[in-house]
Amino acid sequence: MMRWMKMSGILVILAMLAACAAPTPPAPTATPAGPAQPAAQPSPTPAASPTPAVKKIVLGFTASQTGKLTKESKEQVQGLQLWLEDLQRAGGIRLPDGTVIQVELKFYDDESTKERVQQLYVKLINEDKADFLISPYSSGLADAAAVIAEQYGKIMITTGAASDSTYEKGYQHIFQIYTPASRYLTGAIDFLKKLDPNARRIAIVYENEKFSTDVVNAAKPYAESQGFEVVLFEGYETGTTDFGPFINKIMAARPDAIIGGGHFQDGSTLAKQLFEKKVPVKMIALLVAPAVPEFAQLGDAAVGVIGPSQWEPGARYSPDSAKAAGLPWYGPTVDQFVSAYKAKYGYEPGYHAAGGYAAGLVLQKAIEEAGSIETEKVKAALEKMDLMTFYGRIKFDTGKAHGKQIGHEMVYLQWQKDASGNLIRPIIWPEAAQAAKPIYPLSR
Amino acid sequence: MSMWRSISWWFTLIVLLGAGLWPIASGSATGREDMFLILMLVTLASSLNILLGYTGYVNFGHIVFFGLGGYIGFYLMHRQGWSLGPAMIAGGLATAALALVLGTIILRLRGAYFALATIGINEAVRAFVANFEPFGGATGMSLNFAVYQAYGGAAQALWIAYGVLLAVTLLTVGISFAVKHSKFGLGLMAIREDEDAALVLGVRGPRAKTLAYALSALFPGMVGVLFFFKNGNIEPGDAFRLHLSIETLVMVMLGGQGTVWGPILGAALYERLRGYLLTSPLFKSLHLAFAGMLLLLIILFVPAGVIGWLRARFPAIRRVIP
Repeated sequence: MMRWMKMSGILVILAMLAACAAPTPPAPTATPAGPAQPAAQPSPTPAASPTPAVKKIVLGFTASQTGKLTKESKEQVQGLQLWLEDLQRAGGIRLPDGTVIQVELKFYDDESTKERVQQLYVKLINEDKADFLISPYSSGLADAAAVIAEQYGKIMITTGAASDSTYEKGYQHIFQIYTPASRYLTGAIDFLKKLDPNARRIAIVYENEKFSTDVVNAAKPYAESQGFEVVLFEGYETGTTDFGPFINKIMAARPDAIIGGGHFQDGSTLAKQLFEKKVPVKMIALLVAPAVPEFAQLGDAAVGVIGPSQWEPGARYSPDSAKAAGLPWYGPTVDQFVSAYKAKYGYEPGYHAAGGYAAGLVLQKAIEEAGSIETEKVKAALEKMDLMTFYGRIKFDTGKAHGKQIGHEMVYLQWQKDASGNLIRPIIWPEAAQAAKPIYPLSR
Repeated sequence: MSMWRSISWWFTLIVLLGAGLWPIASGSATGREDMFLILMLVTLASSLNILLGYTGYVNFGHIVFFGLGGYIGFYLMHRQGWSLGPAMIAGGLATAALALVLGTIILRLRGAYFALATIGINEAVRAFVANFEPFGGATGMSLNFAVYQAYGGAAQALWIAYGVLLAVTLLTVGISFAVKHSKFGLGLMAIREDEDAALVLGVRGPRAKTLAYALSALFPGMVGVLFFFKNGNIEPGDAFRLHLSIETLVMVMLGGQGTVWGPILGAALYERLRGYLLTSPLFKSLHLAFAGMLLLLIILFVPAGVIGWLRARFPAIRRVIP
């Protein structure tokens, strides 16, 4: 009996080893259904009268399906997939010369680690013959992918990656969709100054990692220049679950406002514990977490928490606002995007999803403008780009920080309860986009 | 040295060299990336094996040398303008020196106490680096893309890093082989079997253990520099990933601890398996569960690891596979 169990165990292993030893079959680009689902969608052929030349391009990226970044990454990929669906419904990208470009998505799981990211981007470029790349989610992973993209001279649109430093390394093919980290919390400081001229003391508590540190390192001098006193400036470890010691320090520093946070897990835990301990502050503004729809699960603890957001369903970008700003409009309206996303996934999109969609949209526009899929021509089109979309304005730095986003602005949302007691998150800043009266000060 | 007259060493050398040169010969960048990870893991596993397999000390914090070496080398390249070679050697020597100092203290601990201490070291060093400004603190450091120009462009730099890694891997495995077949190695194995008896027999326990620890710290330090050079940036979270430390332990166990070939095969199998599951359309959502189940099977049924089992089953191959 034991012998048989052993033998069968060994057989299983041998079978697996054989499977591993066989070289990973190079995925042919022509495969109709790649790992990405959208290809299953019937793509209607464009009904142009002269049969147009159809070209196929591969858009490669990695998604964090396992590891610490799954939640945000999933939204981003869903946004991108929605873009592809819309594109396929429209029949693909039409170039001025009549050529139709069909796009195929190709992606793998990067396990939220850098080793995988670099390995998989090399694979995407060399084996899957990706023509263009989208970044993975998070600044760290996008940074690792950017090295590879630049080495092979491939255009990569980064989304879900806000760190400024990636664009200060001399890359020429990397283009950022997000407003950079250095401008993440500055609006919250403006908001506080406007609403409460008496507020003076700010506590900054942040996750001790790349993105959050970049944000607060820019926010701190900004707050000081605006006449605030930073009474606490303290980082916590990634994965912190007990903020007790930090909350005690915050209490002791008696701040008017707390800003900081990091990503979803730690940010929502921090918000919850600040609520449970009834920390008496007038304003709380945290990174990332409040902008993720799941933040609503905190219930009452979410109420009043402000979050910077790259984009919100209530954003007021429209063809009219584009005209007023003297910019061309491109792509769906905010309402069209939100309702399509809701119809497909059953809930409102957050900014991660919008960023995913916008990354596809920007690339689509650049290819149209370039009238070609040649890297250098598309790159030139991206450099020239200055337009308005449902996601906001898009314009890239072409100087020293090549590819850095300089057109797009943040909005700030606040979790509130509507008349029937449901949690909503209207935009409260900038004033021009305000959708509800902000709760200030917090009643705790 | 008698090593060069041993069939099993020549066999090891030829197989490794063949596998390592294949991407260079075929010029395949994808092959190079795959092989880079495998060689890196082979080096980590083989160096861990010196302490874990030969000496019998479980080290959960092996990755601390990888991260710290990477940091030191990166600092020298980024802030001091050193080139890759000297930076790599400096990174390796610095971690070996650290191990020498640490070893004299913590190798007085045995069994579970030592294992716990190694975790503590990793966490302590990570927390230190995350708050150490010259190393960039939590933000880490990034190489400017222009740095690669000195190596003939970015694409060329990757090939150079790969070539150097291959050399380091061969050196690591060579040292592992030499240790196993030396009097020093016999001393280590005596410690593994029964430390008190070994002391009585005249093995200089503390000194031998510390040397083994330093030796096992040298190579991860060098590989760390290569890896983060290729990566272009370094951050505390990536440099001191406890998870990778544990995966390295699994690789050694999978292949067979205490053998030269065990860590090589274990690392290659583990990496190929993960890589395959990751990109296969069938398993790509289930790969972690699948890999875990397979590991469970192996630990349950083949506790000596693949090489250990083969050597026990077919004594004839012992002459070829060390």
